[in-house]
Amino acid sequence: MENTLAPSSSATVTIRDLSVAFSGKMVLNSVDLALCPGELTVIVGPSGSGKSTLLRAVNRLNECFPGCRTRGEVRIRLDGRWGNVYDDFLPLPELRRKAGMVFQTPGVLPFSIRKNLAMPLKTTLGIAGSVLAERIERALREASLWEEVKDRLDDAATTLSGGQQQRLCLARALALEPQILLLDEPTASLDFRAARKIEQLLTSLKQRYTVLAVSHSLGQTRRLADKVYVLREGVIGQEISGECLQDPKTFEKLIEDAF
Amino acid sequence: MKKNLDFLMTGYARLCAVAVFLATSLLLGFLIKRGLSSVDLKLFFGDTHWLSAITGTQPVFEGIWPAVVGTLFLVLLSSAISIPTGVASGVYLSEYASGRVRSFLGFAVDVLSGTPSIVMGLFGFTMILFLRNTLLPQARPSLFLAAVCIALLILPYVIRTTQTALEAIPEHLRLLGPSLGLSHWHNIRYLLVPLAGRGILSGVILAIGRAAEDTAVILLTGVVARAGLPASLWDKFEALPFRIYYLAAEHRSQAELDQGFGAALVLLLLTGFLFLAAFFLHAKFEKRWKTH
Repeated sequence: MENTLAPSSSATVTIRDLSVAFSGKMVLNSVDLALCPGELTVIVGPSGSGKSTLLRAVNRLNECFPGCRTRGEVRIRLDGRWGNVYDDFLPLPELRRKAGMVFQTPGVLPFSIRKNLAMPLKTTLGIAGSVLAERIERALREASLWEEVKDRLDDAATTLSGGQQQRLCLARALALEPQILLLDEPTASLDFRAARKIEQLLTSLKQRYTVLAVSHSLGQTRRLADKVYVLREGVIGQEISGECLQDPKTFEKLIEDAF
Repeated sequence: MKKNLDFLMTGYARLCAVAVFLATSLLLGFLIKRGLSSVDLKLFFGDTHWLSAITGTQPVFEGIWPAVVGTLFLVLLSSAISIPTGVASGVYLSEYASGRVRSFLGFAVDVLSGTPSIVMGLFGFTMILFLRNTLLPQARPSLFLAAVCIALLILPYVIRTTQTALEAIPEHLRLLGPSLGLSHWHNIRYLLVPLAGRGILSGVILAIGRAAEDTAVILLTGVVARAGLPASLWDKFEALPFRIYYLAAEHRSQAELDQGFGAALVLLLLTGFLFLAAFFLHAKFEKRWKTH
């Protein structure tokens, strides 16, 4: 497959000729891809191929690392407006709220469950009082966590199980009402049962959000993805979608060839 | 061979830990044995009635009460100057400064931390002479000057522990704030500084201990034997370390020397009280930070 894509008119995110280097070391090299609304796109690839860097390029989180240099375009359509995030199309805090991110290890803050959701809402959007309580409940319900935590919202978030913590992180991102979800191996540190719960959640969430995820599990990728990009040494090697994803053997063969 | 080395190193580490415990116990035991018998109202207030002494209606000539008050004021004032400044500097060095600026300012902090306290005292004394000859002819050594010099002395502890504690925060926690749309400042204010709270607290405790015990700085910047309670920040004052030094060096009887040990015990209790106050204040803030 060619390593270039024509910009899609329906795309929420279009990445063009994106290269990212850390202290002179190229991690992503001229990447092009498109994410469509209502689709779950999965990036697969060997460790160190630049998957997390690609995810962080969308919300410009790579800039938190010293010596990061980014070239190319990440064009996003938000609220009907198109813009390149690297041309300061949106202020950084707003961009990062609109492109919510969940990390590989459950990144709960050492707060109560309630404060994990409330602090970003209060700090970034100034939401308080009953509106805040409603927003928290809605986000927890959306992450299928409300029933499990509604009576212990003031308990420390670290007392939750790994799967619950990861759903709390998802709820925290959802509470900020993002339009894009960036998921960096969200089930990597979870057991089978907890991972399945997150998968079910993602299946329902992808109807409402544009989702870009990284996964190491090929089975999970096949179950969830509408489109798969194979990343190898910072370069998109292959795009897999449609029927190829339905047939396990074809999918496996394609992935093996790409790796 | 490797097993023997492991055994030896483990034994040595245990021995060192026990030695520290023994040394501390020995010191405390010695102080308690020599000083406890002289810790009474007379040690604090001499012949003055305790209520009159505390309310300041009658001066205390023989007791250590003015020195206790002087030390408390000195520690609180120097902490009030150095802790906010030190934490802000540590935050700047860790979160904002470029590599070159960090090395340059880091070097300045190292120089400051290596400055002997007597040099700091001399600096304060020279400042007063300079001010007397130029802008403030009425300037003189005082509680405020001593507190500023002590603040300079303890500033590096707060700066370095703040910087180290912030830099030790794991990367995944550092990224959480920005990923949730927090600005750089909000991330520092609401996440990083509270997360580094325990480390910062250790610096604050070190600083309080250093401020309470230093004698060389205050000798040249405002402490005077039998000065009584300071009337204002610009007045001379007494301090416990100086009182202990004075009693140990100039004692004329065993009872006076025992008073020195009693005063040392009081100084230890005072710093212990300040440590506890810092600890509880931090615990209170931490609890509030975690739930509200």
